[in-house]
Formats: sequence, C-alpha cells, structure tokens
Amino acid sequence: AETWDMPMAYSASNFHSENGVAFAECVGAGTNGEITIEVHPGGSLFAGADIKRAIQTGQVQIGERLLSGHQNESAVFGFDSIPFLAPSFDDSEKLFKAARPKIEALLDEQNLELLYAVPWPPQGLYFKKEVNSVADMAGVKFRSYNNTTSRLAELTGMLPVTVEAAEISQAFATGVAESMVSSGATGYDRKVWESLTHFYEVDAWLPRNYVMVNQDVWADVSDANKSAIRACADAAAARGLEASKAYTQFTMDGLAAGGMTVQPAGDALMGELREIGATMTAEWLEAAGDEGAALVDEFKAMQ
Amino acid sequence: MTELYVIALFLIVLFLLLGTGVWVGLSLMGVAWVGMMLADANRIGDSMVQEIWRSSSSWTLTALPMFIWMGEILYRTRLSEDMFKGLSPWLARLPGGLVHTNIVACTVFAAVSGSSAATLTTVGKMSIPELRARQYPENMVIGTLAGAATLGLMIPPSLALIVYGVTVNESITKLFFAGVFPGLILAGMFMAYVAIVSFASKDWNPRVETGMSLAEKLRNSRFLAPVFALISVVIGSMYLGYATATEAAAIGVIGALTLALFQGSLTPSSFRESLMGAMRTSAMIALILAGAAFLKLSMGFTGLPRALADGIAAMELSRFQLLMALLVFYIVLGMFLDGISSVVLTMAVVEPMVREAGIDLIWFGIFVVVVVEMAQITPPIGFNLFVLQGMTNHEMGYITKAALPMFLIMVLMVFVLIWFPDIATWLPENLRQTPG
Amino acid sequence: MTAIRKTLDFLYLIAGVAAALCLIAILLLIVAQMIARWTGEIFPGAPDYAGYAMAAASFLAFANALNKGAHIRVSILLNSVPSGMKRVLEIWCFALGAAITWYFTYNATWFVYWSWKFNEVSQGQDATLMWIPQSVMVVGGGLVAVALTDNLVHVIRHGNHRITRDTVEDTHEV
Ligand code: NA
Ligand code: NA
Repeated sequence: AETWDMPMAYSASNFHSENGVAFAECVGAGTNGEITIEVHPGGSLFAGADIKRAIQTGQVQIGERLLSGHQNESAVFGFDSIPFLAPSFDDSEKLFKAARPKIEALLDEQNLELLYAVPWPPQGLYFKKEVNSVADMAGVKFRSYNNTTSRLAELTGMLPVTVEAAEISQAFATGVAESMVSSGATGYDRKVWESLTHFYEVDAWLPRNYVMVNQDVWADVSDANKSAIRACADAAAARGLEASKAYTQFTMDGLAAGGMTVQPAGDALMGELREIGATMTAEWLEAAGDEGAALVDEFKAMQ
Repeated sequence: MTELYVIALFLIVLFLLLGTGVWVGLSLMGVAWVGMMLADANRIGDSMVQEIWRSSSSWTLTALPMFIWMGEILYRTRLSEDMFKGLSPWLARLPGGLVHTNIVACTVFAAVSGSSAATLTTVGKMSIPELRARQYPENMVIGTLAGAATLGLMIPPSLALIVYGVTVNESITKLFFAGVFPGLILAGMFMAYVAIVSFASKDWNPRVETGMSLAEKLRNSRFLAPVFALISVVIGSMYLGYATATEAAAIGVIGALTLALFQGSLTPSSFRESLMGAMRTSAMIALILAGAAFLKLSMGFTGLPRALADGIAAMELSRFQLLMALLVFYIVLGMFLDGISSVVLTMAVVEPMVREAGIDLIWFGIFVVVVVEMAQITPPIGFNLFVLQGMTNHEMGYITKAALPMFLIMVLMVFVLIWFPDIATWLPENLRQTPG
Repeated sequence: MTAIRKTLDFLYLIAGVAAALCLIAILLLIVAQMIARWTGEIFPGAPDYAGYAMAAASFLAFANALNKGAHIRVSILLNSVPSGMKRVLEIWCFALGAAITWYFTYNATWFVYWSWKFNEVSQGQDATLMWIPQSVMVVGGGLVAVALTDNLVHVIRHGNHRITRDTVEDTHEV
C-alpha cells in the first residue's frame, strides 16, 4: 500500500476540494486500499502556483492546479480562458473535449498525466454602477491579475489596476479597484456586495482546475488500479461539473441576497463584448500557433 | 503511537539545535528536514528550495523591509525624541508613566502596519533608548513592547486576518472591523497592567520630568505634529484608496525621508546607515521566515497538526469545552510554529468543527488572532522574542520572562471575548458599508 | 592568505551593498506602480519584480548579516560553559550551519538548473525566465555557506569566530 499526497489550492469547503476528497475516497476503495490519497486543501502543503512543479518533479504524486495560470509557459494552457469563445457550460465541455488531446500531449512532455478537469462557474463582470455598454466602462478602475485581464481592460477602455488576490476585498472597500471579472463564486466568497453593486452574467469564460499525476508514479501503478483510478476520475469530472452548475446558481442567489443587482448583460453590451472576444481570440491564436488554430477549428466544428 | 514518536523526535531535535546555539532560521530548517525524513517525503531538497523561494520572493513580504527601513530612518531623526517630548507631559503623570508610550505607539502603528514584526521594530527602535534614558525598569520596557506589538495583527490592517478570511471564506472587511474594539480593549488591559505594576514595584523609580502647566503641555504637544502627520498620511493613503496595505509601507518610507530632510537629520551617512541597518534586520527576519516556511511544509507532510485537530474533533466537546481545547491546542502549536502557519495547517479540520458548534466565524477569527498573537511571544519559537533579542542583545530567557505577563493578559482576553462576544461582533454587524 | 581574507571580506561587503540597493529597488518599484495607477497607466509585472528584489535583498544580505551578528541564536548555553567547551560548541554550530546552507545551496543550484532547462517562466504578467531571479538563491546561499565555513575554519584555527556585533544598543548590558 502506498500513500499519495494531493495538494489543492482552494479552501476545504470549496466544491473543487470537496470533489477532490470524494475522488480520493473512491480511489482508496477502488484500489482496495493499495493506493490511499491524502488531500491537503487550502494551500496547506504547496501554494497554488507551486503545485504543478511539485508534481512534475515528484515532490508529491498528485495534485490540482488551474492550468491557465501557466499560459506564459505555453499559450495552449490558456485555451479555457479566452474571453467569450465558449460562454456556457455546454460550450465549455465541447471546448475541453476538443482541447483534451492537445493538453494531454503538452502535459505528457512535462512528465504529467491528466486525470480529470472541472470548470469553475462562468466569469462575469462586477461593477460599482449600472453598465449598459462598453462606453459606460470608460475610466473604471478594473482589477487585472494577468495579461488576459489587462488586455480586456485595455479593449474596454477601463484602467487596469494590479491587485493581488489577498487584497481584493480591501481594494474594493477602499476604492483602489472598482470592477473585476471573476466567477460569481469569488464574489460570493469574498462578500463583495459590501463594496460593489452590479454583477453581469456575461459568462466570459470557464477556467478549469486540472488534477494531474506524476508520470513516473503513474507508470508504477498496476493496470487494474489504473482503470480503477480512471473510473474515479471520470466520476469526479461528472460530479464536479454538476457541482459547478449548482454552485453557480447558489452564488448568483447569494449575491442577490447580499443586495447586488444580478442580471445577464443587455444585448447591446453583450454584442460589444463578443466583438472584443473575437479580437482576443485572434490574438490568442497568434500566440498559440497551429495547435491553437486546430483546437479552435475542432471546437467550432462541434457547434 | 507513531505520532508520539514523531513528536518526541521533533522536540528533541528542535531543543538540541536551538539550545546549543544554532542560528534560529537554520535550526528551523534542520528540524523541518528531520520532519520531512520522518514523513518519508520525496525530493526533500527540491521541496525545501521551492518553498523557501516562494516565501522569500513574495510581494506582500516587501512591506516588512519598508516598515523596518522607515523605523531606521525615524530612529535617526529627532522624531523619537520629539515624540517623547510631546507625549511625556501627558503620560508622565499616569501611573506607569512613559511605559505607556510603548503601548500607545504600538496601537497607533498597528493601524499602519499589518504585521507584528514591523510594529515591533519601528516602535522599539525609537522607544527603547528613550525609556532606558529615563531609567524605567528594563523588563517592563521589553515586556510591554513584546506584547503590544502583537496588536499589529489584530488592529486593521492585519495579515493574520487576511489569511484567516481567505482560508474560511469570511469577509475580510468584516474581520477588520471586528478587530478594532478587541484590539483597543487589549491595549487598555496592557496599560492597566503597567499602572498596577508601577504601584506595586519597588524598582519603579524613573527619572521624573518636572511638572508643567497646561499651557506648557499644550505648547510641547507641537512636537507631536510630525509623527501625527506621518501616520495620517500612511493611514490616509490606505483608506482613501491611494495605496494598498502593502504599498502604504513605501509611503511610510518616503514620508520618513521627507521628515528627516526637513529636520536636517538626513545626511548621506545617516541615509546609508539606515539602509544598511534595515538590510541586516530584514535579512535576520527573512532567514527565520525561510526556516518557518520549510517547517510549515514539513508539518504538512507529517500531518501532525491535522492529526491533533482530528483528535479534538473526535472528542465531541460542548461549545465552551471546544473553545478551551482549541485554546490549549493553539497555544501548544504556537510554541513551535508561527501563528499564521498553524492557522493554515489546521483550518481544514477546525473550521467544520467550529461551524458545527454554531460559533460565529467572524468572532472566531478574533479568537484565533488573539491566539496567533500569543504565539509571537511564546518560546521556543516566538517571533517577537527573536526580534527583541536582535534589537536588545538580551537572552531569550530574559525576554520570555518579561513577556510572560503579556501572555497571561492575552489568555484573559480570550475569556473576555467568550464572556462578551459583542466586543468583536457589534461593529461589523452595525457598520453597513455604503457602496459607492 | 591575506589575499583570500581580503577577497572574502570584500565579497561579504559588496553583497550587503547590493542587498541594500535591492531595498531601494523595492521602494522605487512600489512607488512606480502607485504612480502608474494614479495616472491611469499600467506597469505590468511590478509586484513580481518587487518580489524578486525582496528575495535578492534577503539572500544577498545573509552573509553580511551573519558577520555583523544580526542573525539571532540562543546563546545561554554558549555563555555559561567554560571556554574549551565553548569552542567545541561553536565548532558544532558553525559546522551544522555550514552543512545546512551547503545543502540548501546544492539543491538550489539544481532547482535553478531545472528552471533553466524547462524554460520555466513566471506565472505573472512579467513573464520573466525564472532562473534569472532564482539565481540569487544560489549566490546568496553559497555566500552564507562560505561565510559559515570561513568562521568554522577560524574557530578551529584560532579558537574564536569573526562575528562582531555593532548594534547601537551595545552600551546597555544586563
Ligand atoms: Na495592523
Ligand atoms: Na511561539
């Protein structure tokens, strides 16, 4: 019997972490206790940004990471974070289906084996005022945390301000930032209704958390156990998707109960945002090369 | 059984390394390495470097050397002297006299900085020489400083509350508001203690300043203007949205440099000395932080803190019993880990326990912060003790003894919180943030 | 011999000065980021650069801080044993300190080598190649390992180490 340490970045009560714990239990049962997985949620082992390298180099056997965090390494990792390319759970699933072989090949080069991926609730826009068009966004201080969000600010005429995750709540409370793009979950968790008033469900993108195993470790797993783990992974992917959908509704209700106006963006605004999305997809394609183009073509063919 | 064996071995190695005089930061790395070996972790060297790199290259950490540098600049200006000139006519007549400046200055500076070490170095650098010159009992000077500096973690902005809030998904704004009254009450308790000791103690014979008329007192208060200006600029920059809590530290440095320039105390040599001093002090703290980061990872691999928390969960305690068990648990853990690490390592198990017992999570955040504060001054691994040792050359034992009454006051504070929970929950519940 | 002595002392000093300059760099980076935000500009990656400067300030300062007695240790036992025993204890401390720091430096070297080999890039907006800022771990870690070894040799040969404290509060002893 062996024990795998599984670092996860988000707190124990987050649905990704709860799903990870259920996956770990499934693996324990499915392998008849030959492999037990010890989940370490909330960054209690490695911080989110370190988890991929920790798995790659064999410091831990398995772990979970938001791969779009690594898009500086390879633009393909950012396929799930292109604004307005696949703006719904269904589209996101199709996009992932198209991307999976490419992502698996890329991870393979990095000594990683993909087990499952679960989407976050869709990203929406938070504001301190009513916004009906891109023109209304001009000059608003927008929290950016990577190149995509900076570019989004630039294209919408907002002022990108860099605010680290730990300082989000305080930045909104003091007016350092006035707007952000994030899932309803983040806003709900950080209780942003204390400072912000409007949430627009623009479903900009659905980034995913990926659970990966070190390939040297994976190679030593017996075939029977491999298929047991794969079965648990498929179950976790399905369960995670449902949890994400349910959580989306839950957090929308929570934001509304907190006093925020929660609504889909108006047609005019949505049209303008899609145009910006087209620009950003084109820019991503330039960075991601043939791989990226093939991926997007395949996704478009599925629709 | 294996856990007891791991704990025993851990303690032996820790006391062996620290006790024989191996540098604190390096001792922590040694102990962490042993822990990784016991946990049978893979690629220990790799993990060590990765974790140390992550913790040393952190953006939020930059506030620490900035505040230390600010303290070094202020220490070389007439500012500390002036501050005492301005405060002494008012505080000298209080029972306990100028020792109160330690507590008042820490409370005020706590509103500027989110960390206890920054509060301690900035205030200590200025107040220790001034209080010594006035012959106040050394143990009171050191003790009150060790204790009051921990207010940096309770009075907003607070690093400990940010970490807690992110871990349990509670509003950081609410937590910040919740910390205000308990922080002030704790400061009041420290001051009451100083007053009592000043009556009871025989070696309390400070050099007394001559009495002043009210007019003279008010005139002397002009000396306080620069300090208040500096603090207002730093706090103002944060609350008016010009700077984040981390950036405010840089504003503090610029403010201090400007003050020094106006006072004529900014010379090339004083600038160089302040900078080199800040470089060494922050390196001292950074080495310990690096060791602590590796120790936190090692503890995560051994699973020890979680196993202990699981043990408490299995006991099925009543609400009060649970709080008592957690108090003892975090005091023991806080002896060996810094408070924030013990929160991160155990919250996954403790949070559901606390929620299930129907305890308000905002209130519990303040409870946790008091306990995290205690960890700063408990041996063998207590951050404020280390920083004070670096500043004063006193032995750990002496500083620990001087800080012990402050520790006991914090324990009392926990009971005050349990008996009067409103002191933490009233403000966040009644202050509705108005959007816009 | 004196050539080695002079070279080492020069290295400790120059690393300390470099660390101090990193503190100024942190200040400038943070100020630049604030000014950029106030004026509606962006300074992509400023927090990341400040983080690298932070790491450099710490690692480069370690050896200098060691020689100036800034790193703290529990010295109750050291101060209470007779001088022969004290020498043995000092040898143990410096040897162990050197072992830990050499272990760190060895692993840091491989760590940076792999960052370089994998072309690891920062996850922030700076997109820096990570081996560049990470190299200060090897330099600073190596230097503090050298400094500890240097002191170890000195204790063995001359019976005392070369650490001299010059804190301003030295006037007060208990
Ligand atoms: Na504070
Ligand atoms: Na402690």
